[in-house]
Amino acid sequence: MRRTHIHHFLFAFLISAIVFIAAPAQTQNGNSTAAAKSHASAPLKLTLPMKDGSVKFAVIGDTGSGTEQQREVGDMMIKYHSLFPFEFVLMMGDNLYGGEAPADFEKKFSAPYKALLDQKVKFYATLGNHDQALQVNYTNFNMDGKEYYKFKKGNIAFYSLNSNYMETKQVKWLEDELGRETAEWKVMFFHHPPYSSAKKHGSDGQLREVVEPIFLKYGVNVVLSGHDHVYERIKPQKGIYYFVSGAGGKLRTGDIDGRSGLTEKSYDRDMHFMLFEVAGNEMYFQAISRTGETIDSGVITRK
Amino acid sequence: MMKKKRYVFLWLLVCTLIWGSSVALAQKTQNAALAEPVVVSPADKAAIESFEKQVKGYIALRNKVRENAPKLSKESTPEQIHAYRTALELSLRNARPNAKRGEFFQPTTADFIRRTLKTEFQGKDRQELREQIFETETQGVVVRVNYPYAQSAELSEMPATLLAKLPQLPKELRYRFVGRNMLLVDRESDVIIDFMPDALP
Repeated sequence: MRRTHIHHFLFAFLISAIVFIAAPAQTQNGNSTAAAKSHASAPLKLTLPMKDGSVKFAVIGDTGSGTEQQREVGDMMIKYHSLFPFEFVLMMGDNLYGGEAPADFEKKFSAPYKALLDQKVKFYATLGNHDQALQVNYTNFNMDGKEYYKFKKGNIAFYSLNSNYMETKQVKWLEDELGRETAEWKVMFFHHPPYSSAKKHGSDGQLREVVEPIFLKYGVNVVLSGHDHVYERIKPQKGIYYFVSGAGGKLRTGDIDGRSGLTEKSYDRDMHFMLFEVAGNEMYFQAISRTGETIDSGVITRK
Repeated sequence: MMKKKRYVFLWLLVCTLIWGSSVALAQKTQNAALAEPVVVSPADKAAIESFEKQVKGYIALRNKVRENAPKLSKESTPEQIHAYRTALELSLRNARPNAKRGEFFQPTTADFIRRTLKTEFQGKDRQELREQIFETETQGVVVRVNYPYAQSAELSEMPATLLAKLPQLPKELRYRFVGRNMLLVDRESDVIIDFMPDALP
């Protein structure tokens, strides 16, 4: 009799352990929130300070699926735009999956973000491993016909790199440009993440080997990337803040490996986008799920 | 007091050494990425020159062909991009009707590249890179000279350290992996110009 009870207890323990291990990673620091399949919207809540004269922008990554969920992220962005009128959007690559005919541009970009485009919000794209080279000529991606380029807004210099093909010419261009950079904030955005806890791809070590020394040498502050279809804020690495924002149109549920030791905060239960506000030496950020819940927020202070 | 000063001095020395070695390491890695292609022998040099000559010939042909394609600005519509790509692809394929494998990757060039790849992919830390290339979703790609790379397929990430060691290409051309094959591809039209089978060790 006693043995049967022990068996029952062990069986229940085993089942609980399996359920616990198989469950998708929760956001770190105890803030587990939105459910992926819920379509109900949370009340809009802005954590950004909305300071006068600040630079306001949004970030989306791995968007070009043309799915209903991508459109829902676009819809949530326009709702937040009414509260926080961001001027432009950075795209982390994989802008168009599986084909680039005119109909694909419409279904996977122009239609989901129509309301933002109508309000003259500019999109700045970078190329991912699913993007063809000629996207650089697409007027709404504002890439100036180049695979790597930079632009300035206020006291911030934004650098878009082609991490899929980091040839010597590009590395030299990056060094030359950073060498004469006068902007206070230096923000990089490109597709492959130098640091990531996702199980599918994870940290891109060979890319990091090349770009990280340059970032350190020239005082880069923030690095934004996609590729892994999750949200992750990495613990600052050698003083640089890294974000993975690769779930604007595709999601890999439960892909975060909580044992990586890299994660400051993560979210892999629904798609998301990010908002940023830069005022002086402070950069505020807010990550928002497809259903409108705040999944992360904070401030980075430039030293 | 003296003891305290000595302790502070030692602490500063340790910090300086750590900082110095990290800067040196960073510099070394960066230089490795920016290094010129490694030419190990006069024969390799001749092979690279022969490859570059072939590439120059292709670019001349391409420039001529491109004159007939519709113009493309940096503010193009999807329709203009599509028209340009289609016209360029067709013109390039028609301009090289007898294109064969090995025209660019001639035996001596191929030998140099194979050795470079073997060196680059040596070691445990490069295993991850190899796996990454093999994981690239390239279903639908027909690896055939003068055929376009399937638009729906993923592109393999080309390692920066490898690109620094391979013969340098003009902006119109790209190296690309499909499984163990290494391709030479026209950047804008995605036409496969040449390929080396089983190039990756």
